Amino acid sequence: MPDTEWPRYEVFKQDRPGRPHEAVGTIHAPDPEMALLNARDVFVRRPECYNLWVVPQDQVLTMTRMEMELNPNWADEAIPEDAPMRTFYVFTRQHHRRSMVAATHVGEIQARHHREALRKALESGRFTDKPVYLWMIVPADAVTSSGEEDVEPMFAPAQDKRYRDQSYYGGLIFDKNALKRREREMG
Amino acid sequence: MTTATTPTTTTTLDTELLQALVDRLLAMADDEVILGHRDAEWTGHAPILEEDIAMANLAQDEIGHALIWYQLIEDLTGQDPDQMVYFRDAPAYRNVQMVELPKGDWAFTMLRQYLFDLYERLLLDRLLTSAYRPLADAAAKIRREEIYHYRHTSTWVERLALGTDESHRRMQAALDRLWPFAAQLFVPLSGDAALLAAGFFPAMDELRAAWQEAVHSFLTNMNLTLPQTRPVTAERDQHTHWLPILLGEMQMVARIEPDAAW
Repeated sequence: MPDTEWPRYEVFKQDRPGRPHEAVGTIHAPDPEMALLNARDVFVRRPECYNLWVVPQDQVLTMTRMEMELNPNWADEAIPEDAPMRTFYVFTRQHHRRSMVAATHVGEIQARHHREALRKALESGRFTDKPVYLWMIVPADAVTSSGEEDVEPMFAPAQDKRYRDQSYYGGLIFDKNALKRREREMG
Repeated sequence: MTTATTPTTTTTLDTELLQALVDRLLAMADDEVILGHRDAEWTGHAPILEEDIAMANLAQDEIGHALIWYQLIEDLTGQDPDQMVYFRDAPAYRNVQMVELPKGDWAFTMLRQYLFDLYERLLLDRLLTSAYRPLADAAAKIRREEIYHYRHTSTWVERLALGTDESHRRMQAALDRLWPFAAQLFVPLSGDAALLAAGFFPAMDELRAAWQEAVHSFLTNMNLTLPQTRPVTAERDQHTHWLPILLGEMQMVARIEPDAAW
């Protein structure tokens, strides 16, 4: 049975200008343009957003602390002599809290491939002030980004809409007066 | 959701202009609520999870836009939007027949949405400068989402039309079926001249020309053939047998329990 799933993309969301991009999850899409649209519909229906990146998942190196410990030779990989230097974005997760964010953008590294970028990121000491539980290494040239002009049509309308958790509705639907009281309390 | 403005010009509208305005608003509101309902029928049934979520979003947007237009009517006449939506029978609805047709396959749904989104986007562009201020304000608010809808649906039409033999065949079949119905979007209402004279609404002829030009160039670039079928020119009070069936489902719960709170 052939795999009929569309390719998977990692989605990185920036809430506001100046804030780091955060890995919020994955979507399927046939191409980068549709990946951006799907990312918007799945991850930005209500929350704040200024910019979205989508990156084919097979271009992202994801490695946990445990994977590195279990395989001390993780960095060993033959690098072709003529492989050019590229920019890689470094994402880390430095806590164990329950969170919608898998990893946060913390900087860039120049390297010839993913594993070299991760090794250099570790050796630089720039990202390891606290233990890192998860690394994501994203080549800059694999990113498809939304634009400045997308903010209004794609992200701004969500801000005008009221967001309610599911629990808001519990037991209220058939109690008209309770619902009205709650509406008044919420303003 | 509430509209931000209260019209200050209501008292100065003469009876003819008021009726013309209400007629046009009702046509817009009914188009959106019926299309939104058809789109919502995909919830749980879309081809992939991501698109299921996108389509539910889109349906909700269209129904939200309908509410904005119904509220503009309410401001003018005092009619309750819920009453208008849930307690009118098919002959009182003023939507075009295109939006009441069953949802069909994914190509049909995407092409219908594309044809409608383009019409709506071009109309909203022109309403931004409407002399009826509440209309201009509402258009500015809705237009942002419509730009996104248009991008979403035109992206799909492009990929299906230029995709596989089967997706192309389905898209052409959808166009053959929808094309005559799309013309009904531009059938004039009796009050259009008054609305144009007052600067409330754009000229429908010019809107149709702009829509046709954009649709022709887009669809022919997608290797689709525009059919030479006779356009639907029915008035908006004429409906297919699909509308009462749709309303039966959409209105059922509200009519069973008219006093329920939501």
